[in-house]
Amino acid sequence: MNVSNEPDEFEKRAAALLRASVDGMDGATRARLAHARAAALEPATRARHWLDLRYLAPAGATAVAVLATVLVLNHGKPDALVNEGAGIALYDMDLLADADALDIAEETDLDFIEWAAAQGEQGPGG
Amino acid sequence: MVPLYCEGLALSASRDDTRRELNRFLAGVERKAFRMARMALRHDDDALDAVQDAMLQLARRYAQRPAEEWRPLFYRILENRIRDLQRRRMVRGKVMALLPWRRDTDEDPPDPVAEALDHAPGPAEQVEGMGMMAKLEMALAKLPARQREAFLLRNLEGLDVAETAAAMGCSDGSVKTHYFRAVQALKSQLGEFWT
Repeated sequence: MNVSNEPDEFEKRAAALLRASVDGMDGATRARLAHARAAALEPATRARHWLDLRYLAPAGATAVAVLATVLVLNHGKPDALVNEGAGIALYDMDLLADADALDIAEETDLDFIEWAAAQGEQGPGG
Repeated sequence: MVPLYCEGLALSASRDDTRRELNRFLAGVERKAFRMARMALRHDDDALDAVQDAMLQLARRYAQRPAEEWRPLFYRILENRIRDLQRRRMVRGKVMALLPWRRDTDEDPPDPVAEALDHAPGPAEQVEGMGMMAKLEMALAKLPARQREAFLLRNLEGLDVAETAAAMGCSDGSVKTHYFRAVQALKSQLGEFWT
């Protein structure tokens, strides 16, 4: 081992070569490094915003892919995600939303229906 | 009593000073850091990513530390980042090797340095006709990571043993051992041809 800690000729030469390679770095790489430095020194909020975009895009894409997979796997099985109670509620909602059904209800003579029901309970001889 | 807005102005001025000082520091190390990362990763974009991440972490987490601590801190962050990228690359390679449709197509272009290392017929033929820097770079690429790290921190960045130890996260003695082995290995690879 080099006990004196003084570099020998080999080390000096290697150091000189390495430094020359740094000094002779191409302009494009220097520009990219300067840009990277400027980005690193931006105020934290702006840098965080940039980081968010960087990581949110893949996260969003993953979420869309998962959703698409679920939809594809459940294609043709419309009841798979709906329980019985929810199905009844949806049926009621359909009735309420059905404008024709509301018209029929308005036009129907409710007194007549009540009378007919009473006749039925009393029987045919009634 | 100092008014609050005066304290705010002083704080803002202090931050600007720190940012300017940090900018000077990073401008002074960025090219050397890129060379080191490039030699370890053998890929320009990966090397740039590693340097940028190291800059970002230093600026975010350690800007308020004394400026004389920045250099070893920066190189320690950089080396960690390089190792992360190497690990990630290794894992990605293993996963890709398991995918049947990736075996024949869509592979990364071959790394010329790695290819040269894999198929090198011998030191004399290997370095013949190459520039001195290319010979050194090829020899450095063959070194174990810690040896290369010690050699570059000492000879490219000009850190002393204690600073190198701080940057590498090890003792002075370990740095001396890594460095000594690196020099011996480089000499044995390049010695008689590196003239």
